[in-house]
Amino acid sequence: MIQTFGHLVALFMILSISAFGGGKVVLPTLQQQAVNHYHWMSNQQFVDLFGISIIDGPSMMVVTLVGLKACMEYGYVIAILGALVATVAMFLPSSILVLIVGRFWDSWKTSPWHESIQRAMMPISTGLILAAAFIIAKHSIHTIPTAIMGVIALCLMLFTKLNPVIMIVAAAGISWVFLR
Amino acid sequence: MSKNPDITAEPVSDTPPRVSLWELIFFFGLIGLTSFGGGLTAYIRRLAVTQKGWLTDEEFFSALAIVQILPGARVVGISVYIGNHLRGLLGATVALLSIMTPPFILVSCLGLLYFHYGENTDSKALLAGVTAVACGLMASMVFEAGQKAIRGVFDVMMILITFLLVRLAHLHVQYVILLLGPIAIWWHRPRPDKKDEAQKQKEVAS
Repeated sequence: MIQTFGHLVALFMILSISAFGGGKVVLPTLQQQAVNHYHWMSNQQFVDLFGISIIDGPSMMVVTLVGLKACMEYGYVIAILGALVATVAMFLPSSILVLIVGRFWDSWKTSPWHESIQRAMMPISTGLILAAAFIIAKHSIHTIPTAIMGVIALCLMLFTKLNPVIMIVAAAGISWVFLR
Repeated sequence: MSKNPDITAEPVSDTPPRVSLWELIFFFGLIGLTSFGGGLTAYIRRLAVTQKGWLTDEEFFSALAIVQILPGARVVGISVYIGNHLRGLLGATVALLSIMTPPFILVSCLGLLYFHYGENTDSKALLAGVTAVACGLMASMVFEAGQKAIRGVFDVMMILITFLLVRLAHLHVQYVILLLGPIAIWWHRPRPDKKDEAQKQKEVAS
């Protein structure tokens, strides 16, 4: 049991600080380690778990389920503990890194270069978001109803002050009822 | 003359507003609870920048760039940054815990159901509409960020080059930032403006 926890911590801490460009980059490595190296689950189970994990939260919530499955043989309580260990090991190291760099960045505010970097990053960030919007569109807008929903969301965001929480909850409701 | 020179030295707009920890817990908890289908950066921006006014667009988008150079999930990174920006270490901790706890509980429960009953929840089908709306949110952020970003032809070129490098050249996001960042920073480098020059001339004259 302790050994499994150790494996989870070691694996996810490494993945956490090597997930440059977001969690999805390390997904193949995670699959390889969880299925072929540690034999925590079958390939089909990994695919199923990934399908479940995207329901809510940041990308890479699948690590929670990998932790859960890895400790499943010791009972449900230990399994939840395993899920917790895996989640902390995955999200804490990268968060500490952001915290350190973020503090440094904020403390630098008085420098004239701070404003230069902010000005410089605005168009680059915009370009990255534009690219991300295209990538999401490619994977999410397949049918006419989804296209209409995307356009309605865009218009509501641009022309009204509607709270996006309402939009997301409504979209989830519509998906549940009509698009299943 | 003034009793407290520290206050006059720092403009009010630069200091983030005072936000209670409860408000942070509620804010990030709600995002964690409703971030169906993955992280929604546009969602956080609309709530934190436009509705709450906790940070400016310039602060948000430069933080977003920093987060994307560093490893880890974008949404978690930007939440930790905002938490720290508002309330320091405690704020960052609260933000991280609040955004992670609801999805952790939800995903763990679904996982237990899966292993107990062998039920195969295909979230993908459930989320078809949510990802489409997420795409709309993302597109709206392009317009709103563009409005703030574009102040000249150079900025338009940077947007297009960034887009092309990611979409056509399939370059990793952090390489794009590390490649174009220094060029753009140099372009926007601090230049002595007229006020400073006038002051300098005065100093020289006296």
